[in-house]
Amino acid sequence: MAKPTTSEQVLQGTLDLLILKTLSLTPMHGWGLTHRIEQLSQHALQVGQGSIYPALVRLEQRGWIGTEWRVTENNRRAKYYRLTAAGRRALGQEIASWSRFVDAVGLVLAADS
Amino acid sequence: MTGYVRAALARIRELFRRRSRVAAERDEELRFHVEMEAAENVRRGMSPADAHRAAVLRFGGMQRFREATNDARGVVALDNLARDIRFAFRRLHRAPAFAAGVITTIGIGIGAAVGIGTIVYGVLLRDLPYDRPDQLVRVGFVTEGIGGPGDLQSPATYFHFAKSARSFTELGAYSTSDAFAITDGDSPERVTAALMTPSTFTLLGARPLLGKLFQPGDTSWYGERLLPILISENLWRRRYGADPGIIGRRIDIDHGEREVVGVLPRSFRFPSPSIDIFYPAPVPVRRPGIAPRYLTVIGRLRDGVSATGAAADLNALIPRLPERFPAITVEMLRETNARATVESLQSATVAPVRSQLRLLGVLVAIVLLIATTNIVNLFLLRAERAGHEFAIALSLGATRATLAQRFIVEGVMLGLASCGIALPATALALSTKFGFTEGDIPRLGEVSFAWPTVALVLASATAIGGAVGLIGLARTGKAGTFDRLRASRTASSPAWRRVQGGLVAAQVAFALVLLVAAGLLGRSFWNLRNAEIGFDPANRMMAQVSLPWSGYTSYGAVAAFHAKVLDRLAALPGVTSVGAASELPLTGHGAPLLREVRAAVEGGREGVTAASNMATEEYFRTMGIPLLAGRTFRAGDLRGTPAVVVSERVARRLFGTASALGRRIVLDADAPAAFTIVGVVGDVQWARIEDGDVPMVYFPLLRDGDGIPADSTPVYRPTDAQYVVQGTELPTAATIRRVVTEIDQRVPASNIRTLGFVVDTATARVRLTMLLIGVAGAAALLLGVIGVYTVVAYAANGRMREFGIRLALGAAPARVGGMVLVDGARLVAIGTFAGLAAALGATQFLRALLYEVAPTSLAEFGAATALLVVVTLCATLLPAHRAARTHPAVVLRGE
Repeated sequence: MAKPTTSEQVLQGTLDLLILKTLSLTPMHGWGLTHRIEQLSQHALQVGQGSIYPALVRLEQRGWIGTEWRVTENNRRAKYYRLTAAGRRALGQEIASWSRFVDAVGLVLAADS
Repeated sequence: MTGYVRAALARIRELFRRRSRVAAERDEELRFHVEMEAAENVRRGMSPADAHRAAVLRFGGMQRFREATNDARGVVALDNLARDIRFAFRRLHRAPAFAAGVITTIGIGIGAAVGIGTIVYGVLLRDLPYDRPDQLVRVGFVTEGIGGPGDLQSPATYFHFAKSARSFTELGAYSTSDAFAITDGDSPERVTAALMTPSTFTLLGARPLLGKLFQPGDTSWYGERLLPILISENLWRRRYGADPGIIGRRIDIDHGEREVVGVLPRSFRFPSPSIDIFYPAPVPVRRPGIAPRYLTVIGRLRDGVSATGAAADLNALIPRLPERFPAITVEMLRETNARATVESLQSATVAPVRSQLRLLGVLVAIVLLIATTNIVNLFLLRAERAGHEFAIALSLGATRATLAQRFIVEGVMLGLASCGIALPATALALSTKFGFTEGDIPRLGEVSFAWPTVALVLASATAIGGAVGLIGLARTGKAGTFDRLRASRTASSPAWRRVQGGLVAAQVAFALVLLVAAGLLGRSFWNLRNAEIGFDPANRMMAQVSLPWSGYTSYGAVAAFHAKVLDRLAALPGVTSVGAASELPLTGHGAPLLREVRAAVEGGREGVTAASNMATEEYFRTMGIPLLAGRTFRAGDLRGTPAVVVSERVARRLFGTASALGRRIVLDADAPAAFTIVGVVGDVQWARIEDGDVPMVYFPLLRDGDGIPADSTPVYRPTDAQYVVQGTELPTAATIRRVVTEIDQRVPASNIRTLGFVVDTATARVRLTMLLIGVAGAAALLLGVIGVYTVVAYAANGRMREFGIRLALGAAPARVGGMVLVDGARLVAIGTFAGLAAALGATQFLRALLYEVAPTSLAEFGAATALLVVVTLCATLLPAHRAARTHPAVVLRGE
């Protein structure tokens, strides 16, 4: 289980964006979410497991995600998270603002002195 | 925005969800996560134990997760609340005097305010308990000069309006009398009756508890049929044991046998809850005129008709009165400026007490304001002290919201604690009703202590507590954290000191207004007690009887009955003199109960409207009313031209300074008749002391009626009489009752009281108002003193260091003390001037209650101001003294 040494801690503030995006693909439970994010980033990103739950609660209070208790394929009860309509709209805005941020940072870095 | 609202709602929902369930779900989710991670680790080849440990490790600490989710869920707010309550409790426990002061002040303030507010609301503002109360009006007929005061109507005007007015669906008329006695069974009982037209019941929407209401034909008094009556639920339960077979029963009332056709429920309180018997009143227009006026008229307006419109309708009908009743002349209507009035029944019902209740409300508001000012000041000072402490909390990362919550929690706790005083105080206020009765204040019986009142007390306590808590926060939060930390612990900013000073000056001003008012009322009361009332109440008592008609159909029979009673009373041990009259002064609860007569010099034009009374020979001596000229009555006075005795005022109005003795006057009562004046007696204060005396004509009440035939009696039969007994030893009420029933067992004696009590009752209104204002004034003065002391002492505390330096540099201690005194004196001076200005305006509203003292009386203003200034300046002496004795070294070291 060699971890990529280049793996980065997820930047504060981008975790919400990652969660929303991942949940937009399919509803899933908390543990699945952490692994799915790591997997999608090809293990470049590592999600602090203790920080994902507070983020989920926060997003739930904003009404961006909903929760329900379901049974997994292994017949276990788990809390599943899914994106709400409001969450889907928020995701669009978050993506746009993230792109603007990345572009801006890129411009600064690309500048020749 | 909606997202924010939704978040807030979710948070609130979380708060109310059971915390245990939230925690259980969170733990289950956490357990699931760790197990999944551990299973994954096992798949990667770890041993189960290692896999579990690694999973927990990777998760990064359970406790941190728990706290983080808690915080996000808002559960932490609940935890904080519990912590803040404990914190506030500890803080208040450390300052028991502050807590007790605030709790008591808020408690008493709310108790008094809610108590009085409930009464004022119930009496003045709440709708009358009838169908569509907005349509109910009182219809009056007002004239100048003749016909008596007030807005009562004569049968003729009522008949005219009822027949012709278009603005009303119905008009009803009634009068009340307490001269009825139920005479069946062993114990005769005097009751109050209302004589009401059947229309009055229907227009009010009355529904009987048993039986039925009157039918239109029920008003024919003079027919052969049995007269129907309605009785009150009170009488039905009290006298007839709630007998379900009461309908159709015959009861004996002094006029003879009556048939009970219905019982009215307690909720029917018209015209007053003390009415026990309702007669169907006929309105016989036997002597058509605008007098005698004894009918109160009410009506129900048609849909869409306003009171003003209805008044215009009636006023247009007045000129047509002479067409219907030729006895009423156009000149009479014009000379007396006759007009109709239409006023909402609600406001007419409470009109006599409106000004007093308003005064009561204003008093409570002022005391409450002063009390609140003190609380605000206390909180401000406390916040100032706590400021340093909270500045540290802020700099260590506490948020403003956290501090706000802490302040509010403290305030609300104090507010709720004050309910412990406020609820009993309110209950007490509403059960005692401040000593008022339904007789003093109409509708008072409808007011009671109930759940809405409790809710109001709780709500206001919470709101006031929270509000004063926030004041503390505003004070603390003003300066920046850094400034607060740097600032000296006791220094206070000039702006806030000005606010505090302003509040205290306002207190002083309010206290002065109340003191002036109390002084003026005190003087009024003194004047009333020392007023020349025209008779001597000492060592005298009275009793009242009302004879039934059957058996007492002639003047002679009635007079003989009274003579027998008087003889027996005179024979009682200790009794020195007895007399009787139709009515006694000051017993009528403010209304002149007498018939009015028009007295005119025979053959002349001068006349005076006078009240008529009837008196025995010994009446004047027994009452202590001076005989100014001539003689009192004697046998033979009813023969020929009958004799009258007039009061001094009548004599002077008719004859000026010339002697009235032997002069003949014409009295126009039921029919014009000539009389000879044989005596002139002193005037007496009649209805109320403050209303002064009324012109009075006394007819003779002779022992045997001079043996004149019944049908030629020139004066009315005195079936109602009041006995007066003077003596060194007064008989008991039981003795008087026995004396009367021994002569006729159907006749109950009532209203047995000493005349001293009668006079006390007559001054009770002013005394009560004076007491209320006096208590309010004393409370205001006390609170004002506390306010002045607190602020001056606090300001002096803040300047301790300055004083220390001054003293160290050689200032005289007296000079330093003087600086503090000047501080206090400035507050008192500002407050006094503002208070004097306010009092000059405010006392105008007292005018109706003042007796022989001007609302701007210099003596009362001066005394109140002097008292206030001296007492409040005393409050600054202590801090001044302390400042002068400041020890420089101690203060400087203390910094």
